[in-house]
Amino acid sequence: MSVPLPPGLQLEKFEEDDKIMTLNVGPQHPGSGHMRLIIRVDGDYIVSCDPDPGYVHRGEEKMAEYRNYILNIPHLERPVIHDSCNILYPYVLGVEELLGLEVPERAKYVRVIAAELNRLSYTLYWLAIYGIFLGHSTMFMWPVGDRELAIDLLDKLTGARVTHSYFVPGGIRNDFPANFEDVCIRQVNYLKKRLKTYGDIFYDNPILISRTEDTGILSREDAIRLGTTGSVLRASGVDFDVRTKEPYDAYEELDIHTNVLKKGDSYDRSKVPWLDMLESCNIIKQALEKMPKSGSVRVKLKPNPKGGDDEVYKRVESGRGSLGVYIVSRSKPEPYRLKLSVGSFRNLICLPYLLKGEKLGNMPAVYWGLNYWPVEADR
Amino acid sequence: MGTATGIIRALNSGIKHLAVKRFTLRYPEQKLKFVGDGYQFDPTTGVGIAGYKGRHLLFHDKCTGCQLCAIACEGVAEAIGMVKVPEDWKHNKKAIMPQIDYGKCVFCGLCVDACPFYALYMTNDYELSSFSKEALIYTPAQLQVKPEVQQDAEIIIDDRGAYHG
Repeated sequence: MSVPLPPGLQLEKFEEDDKIMTLNVGPQHPGSGHMRLIIRVDGDYIVSCDPDPGYVHRGEEKMAEYRNYILNIPHLERPVIHDSCNILYPYVLGVEELLGLEVPERAKYVRVIAAELNRLSYTLYWLAIYGIFLGHSTMFMWPVGDRELAIDLLDKLTGARVTHSYFVPGGIRNDFPANFEDVCIRQVNYLKKRLKTYGDIFYDNPILISRTEDTGILSREDAIRLGTTGSVLRASGVDFDVRTKEPYDAYEELDIHTNVLKKGDSYDRSKVPWLDMLESCNIIKQALEKMPKSGSVRVKLKPNPKGGDDEVYKRVESGRGSLGVYIVSRSKPEPYRLKLSVGSFRNLICLPYLLKGEKLGNMPAVYWGLNYWPVEADR
Repeated sequence: MGTATGIIRALNSGIKHLAVKRFTLRYPEQKLKFVGDGYQFDPTTGVGIAGYKGRHLLFHDKCTGCQLCAIACEGVAEAIGMVKVPEDWKHNKKAIMPQIDYGKCVFCGLCVDACPFYALYMTNDYELSSFSKEALIYTPAQLQVKPEVQQDAEIIIDDRGAYHG
């Protein structure tokens, strides 16, 4: 090429007598998602890594300032379409506090069930990608197939396979369809049985263990210092889960076990979401038992509801960690400002620390172990 | 656990899977069955009725041309436009009814929630692909037609695993 590219776009660059080479992983590379990792390598070892997100920025926060509290629902779930109930959850909780709505008891339980099914569907999708990027194609096929069980339930409940637009301020859009409890218990039980078989083929597989063990160790202190959250934090030995520490909705009445692993390496980070999925199955079964068998599921809202001069911050545990929404209201039907604080972006911060000194081949194991979703991080 | 045992267990788990029935839904031959006739909304109670959010169904005898569905869609997808209809209804003086562009629709169903006259429902029809953008725009006359769907595959779980049948 005759015209030299600008420095940011250069694909390969050599420095220090050809010793250190700069590699761009992404933004189109399927192994990085829609983001770029600028990696400097010395032979096979990574000298430094500079994550460069922002390729799928959609301006969700600005868009929210021009729509009322109901019309914000469909676009706010777009950053993570597989986990759309969980990304809407803090928003809905916040708006309920702003408008002073009391949610019916049954709706709280249905929300928990929908959120847990969504966590299952998201985490299985994540696990499939994690598997395929470690070269384990069976671990791509199985989760994608089994994910259908969770998606089928969500489809019956909410009317859409992804992007459900199911939660609204004041409750949920519709009640259970007929016979849903039985179908739900049957499919969740089967899904749990299937999830347990992943242990043999993937998590206890010596090939995976040798590939991921002791790569990218994040100590407990570093995990707290860097502000990581979700499965990354729990894999480093910190017992933190918003569902148990700051319970919202019906999580207060449910018995939830937090899965904590000690080592903080890539293997632990991949294992915690799997254990969480097994726990999600338990939560769904508990919620189905404890929920009121009948009752209202939605508070009637006025058209264009207005909040007072107030601000609110709510957070929930999503598939990728704590997910917070901060809403400022200025007595208008639209929020004055809406800020999403997402788990993906928090976890990305530790990537340069984890990759330093690793082999380039371990990059996918470390990167995907962070449970990172590029679209959510960019918002 | 030793490396050899681990590998044998992993292989064994994969081999056992050969006996499990195939879960794949053979799509054009089999189509997944949904709950009910599609998402509906009851404005008196303010709660929806569970169902699939597919193509809309417009009842011409109920639509008053109030444009609430179009106003709701304005902040979401801008898919609904109000167009003149040749019909003459007493309750629809302006003779306008929604026309939906499925190239833009995101199937959130907020237009159904907005309709206070039980005039707009959703159906189980999701096969809307066409060769041109114009064909995706459904006029009120097209939306009036109840779709004919053949969906009967369900997830069946037995001791040979789960499968669609």
